[in-house]
Amino acid sequence: MEMETKSSICPGCSIGCGLYLLQAEEGEERKIKILHRPTSPMNEGKLCKFGTDLHMYYEREVLNNSVEGGEVKQEEAIREAKERLKGFKPDELAFIALPSTITNEEILSFVSLASEFGCENVSFGFERFFREIPEEASYIIERGLPFSEVEKATKIILFFLDPFVHYPLLARRILKAKKNGARVIEVSFAKNERKIADEVVLVEPMEIERIKEKKEMFADSLIIGELTPYTDSQFLALMLWLTASTSSRLFLFKPFLNSTGAILFGKGSGRGDLSEIIEGIERGEIKALYSLETDIAGAMLGGEEVAETISKLDLLIEQNAFRTPLSDVANITICSEPFFMKKGTIVNIEGRLLDIGGESEKGLQAMESMGKGRTYEEVHEEVKRKLGLAEISEFEIAVKREEKSFEMAEPKAEIEEIKGEEGYFLRYKTNPFFWNGIQSKNFVEISPAAMRKLGLFRGDEVEVVQGERKERMGFKISELPDYLILSEAKMSIKPLYVAEPHRMEMLTRVELRRAKR
Amino acid sequence: MKLKSKYYLAWAKDEKIRKKGANGGFVTATLVSALENDFIDAALVFEKKSVYEGIPVLTSDPEVVKKCAGSLHGVPINLTRFVVEYAAKKRIGLPTKPCDARGIIEQAKRRQVNLDNIFMIGLNCGGTLHPLRMREMAAVFYGLDPDSVVREEIKEGKIFLISEEEGGEEKEKWMKIDELEQKGYGRRDACKSCTVKIPTMADLACGNWGVPQGEEKTFVEVCSEKGGAIFENAMESGYVEAEEAPGKGIEARKKIEAGMQKLAASWKERMDEVSTLSRSERFEFYVDELKNCIHCGACKAVCPVCACEDDSKCLDMNDERDSYAISMYNVLRIFHLMDSCIHCGQCEDVCPVDIPLTLIQRRFSERMQRHLGYVPGMDITEKPPLYETELRWSARVE
Ligand SMILES: Cc1cc2nc3c(=O)[nH]c(=O)nc-3n(C[C@H](O)[C@H](O)[C@H](O)COP(=O)(O)OP(=O)(O)OC[C@H]3O[C@@H](n4cnc5c(N)ncnc54)[C@H](O)[C@@H]3O)c2cc1C
Ligand code: SF4
Ligand code: SF4
Ligand code: SF4
Ligand code: SF4
Repeated sequence: MEMETKSSICPGCSIGCGLYLLQAEEGEERKIKILHRPTSPMNEGKLCKFGTDLHMYYEREVLNNSVEGGEVKQEEAIREAKERLKGFKPDELAFIALPSTITNEEILSFVSLASEFGCENVSFGFERFFREIPEEASYIIERGLPFSEVEKATKIILFFLDPFVHYPLLARRILKAKKNGARVIEVSFAKNERKIADEVVLVEPMEIERIKEKKEMFADSLIIGELTPYTDSQFLALMLWLTASTSSRLFLFKPFLNSTGAILFGKGSGRGDLSEIIEGIERGEIKALYSLETDIAGAMLGGEEVAETISKLDLLIEQNAFRTPLSDVANITICSEPFFMKKGTIVNIEGRLLDIGGESEKGLQAMESMGKGRTYEEVHEEVKRKLGLAEISEFEIAVKREEKSFEMAEPKAEIEEIKGEEGYFLRYKTNPFFWNGIQSKNFVEISPAAMRKLGLFRGDEVEVVQGERKERMGFKISELPDYLILSEAKMSIKPLYVAEPHRMEMLTRVELRRAKR
Repeated sequence: MKLKSKYYLAWAKDEKIRKKGANGGFVTATLVSALENDFIDAALVFEKKSVYEGIPVLTSDPEVVKKCAGSLHGVPINLTRFVVEYAAKKRIGLPTKPCDARGIIEQAKRRQVNLDNIFMIGLNCGGTLHPLRMREMAAVFYGLDPDSVVREEIKEGKIFLISEEEGGEEKEKWMKIDELEQKGYGRRDACKSCTVKIPTMADLACGNWGVPQGEEKTFVEVCSEKGGAIFENAMESGYVEAEEAPGKGIEARKKIEAGMQKLAASWKERMDEVSTLSRSERFEFYVDELKNCIHCGACKAVCPVCACEDDSKCLDMNDERDSYAISMYNVLRIFHLMDSCIHCGQCEDVCPVDIPLTLIQRRFSERMQRHLGYVPGMDITEKPPLYETELRWSARVE
């Protein structure tokens, strides 16, 4: 038995932790083992649970090439995909890719493939934000900051973000900043259970905007927040306004590994937004969808409805390495390689251009053979040219950011009243498992008051209710305001702005009951 | 030929191996010989990517083994779990620092590997450095571009960095380890306080201590019959040459070892933040550190003495829904490893929230091990006092 050890990157979130992936073949069996890689500057040899258990992510069932459910050779699936796509008008087409496992090179290839068909509905999940904010502020969405800046900061504001949960490998940087003397302030609905902050500013769900009254607190700070496809526009406007009016810096984390690469290389005019694309499908205007390694039903809340919407398509093409609920209903599936096998690069949230470490060009070549027919090297050169780089080094920050001052109108509108069941607010706390369609928890966190009110005992279960939807869950007692429920588990319950997906928030009104014993 | 003595100066006959080797290239030549002469099916060695990175490779190709000669002080990876994972049923040979060898012996006691199939070529160990701290060190204290450093060496209490300047010229700079460590750089904390410096629990113990200055030779102590057998075979088949070590060298080696052990003991005392605290302060310290645990499971996954896998006691009692100040996972892990922890620092190295796990574990295990008179990983015939070896039902080997 020979053992092969590769340097690789964890696709779990935009930090892009480095690791070693060991593969050993013994007879038929291929074993994958994850090992820590101390040389990696992003994570210094550490991984969160997602990274530690990454072998399981790679041990999922692989996807076959197929046309209408029948297994075919890859060339045939590709030929069929190209032929069928030609049958639609450009505005009936959409291309989406949430950039978790997608390389910079694939992004360029994907964008160019879409343009071959004249399609302008290309989404990587973040398009609408660029339309909603002043052009001068777009660098904040586009670029992150190196972790050394976090460690050096003197004042850090955690803005509705629990680093231990959302971006686990960020937490130690904040702990280091604290050791270096930084003051950490947490603005949140509930206190961080690990008490990371020196000061906690609790905000009531209906009064988020009142944080404006505490503007002085933000002066000269590093605000750390999050931008996801769910982020409410007003919430982003609030973060930007606080930044602009207090000469602070804003560091926005994003869930998908290559979010920065996708934003940089997917940039261009006429890109559609994810929620608009879903609406377009719902209205029957978009009839064909090319989905690249994206299980939208699995990644998004309310997956059942998304799946229902998707079923209205005339043509669904899914290119992926593994089987997903979406690939099961796709008309055509094109098999690509698992992420670690890919030849290509990504840009992490710090702006490091990272080599993934694999040798396969399968996914890229599938797209190129339908499009321009370029070689990997040609596309890779374009990546380097666009970044103005001659060489790749994980130790350099390739995508740097320069702080600029910008004007931002004070967000005036009150956050709309959140409709729904009386009683409790549910807030989803997203973690890398959440975004990668893996259920990692089977309980919600509730307040001691809620426990008393419902007469709960150890071992009981609760029901979280939203209209027709009901979820039975375990519970954990946490130090929360009486009305708050936190969930890292993905449930069928979702924010109420379904009709307007771009107004979605991670907060919704629900009822809480004791489940029948 | 039978080896007459216990101590030798030995070197690779192949000049290329000898040059590339850390000292005399003995370790590499012996592994190559063991492969060629069918003592082992594969060797587990480190392929050098840079001075800051070595990747473990399991190979049956002697050429790969030759490429991997040389010591990498910036590679703090412990090889035990590789041996368990990939070589439980193979005959393998590998270089082992004391903590590698000790981990493997503890696994053998728990029937996860069969020592008869493992040839441990021990390396004396003054300690490893964290590769990223080493890069910083090169930049800050040596004034070098970290990427220009092509070689490193540790000798006579100094760390030498050799950089390649433009035009291919090599430049050597050094600093005293002591000085670097006062400034918070140098070796990992676990290594600073590690008192096992010569791996006599391995089959051979190799190093540079005791080698006359300027000579490209490896000092070898023969520690087991198996070790003697591959050594003899390497000589007989022409891979290795050896001479008996002079008494002066043997004495010098002993003296350095004792000095290093003394230094380690003083580091241990200096770094021990816990013992001097009052009981309530100490509890606060534990809570303050362990509350940050995100239950990634990495500390368990890398621990060279943990053999539980699916039978993990620490997981059995843990429920993420509990709101205890310290989770059952952490409490049980500390207790379950009390008799067998070798204080290698792997858990602390991988902890994503930087909990000083080894320090905390040490507080419990050292007293326990002293009380029981048990030093883990030193002797295969000594069973761990908790006697778990007899309770196992998931042995990988007979
Ligand atoms: C981290 C470290 C610290 C050391 N400290 C001392 C010391 O203080 N005093 C002393 O006398 N000797 C020390 N040694 C041993 C010494 O450096 C030589 O390895 C030994 O003398 C054998 O020399 P050689 O030329 O025969 O080995 P070589 O033929 O060069 O073979 C060395 C083997 O070790 C492997 N190796 C390289 N780096 C590591 C690593 N980090 N962990 C495990 N295996 C590795 C290589 O892949 C190679 O197979 C240390 C070695 C290491 C790796
Ligand atoms: S999920 Fe994110 S934080 Fe966790 S190991 Fe992967 S990249 Fe690192
Ligand atoms: S723990 Fe001891 S044996 Fe292991 S690397 Fe450190 S000094 Fe060497
Ligand atoms: S508990 Fe930590 S220090 Fe002890 S043997 Fe395990 S990994 Fe090493
Ligand atoms: S490595 Fe650290 S965070 Fe992970 S389980 Fe162990 S103590 Fe907890």
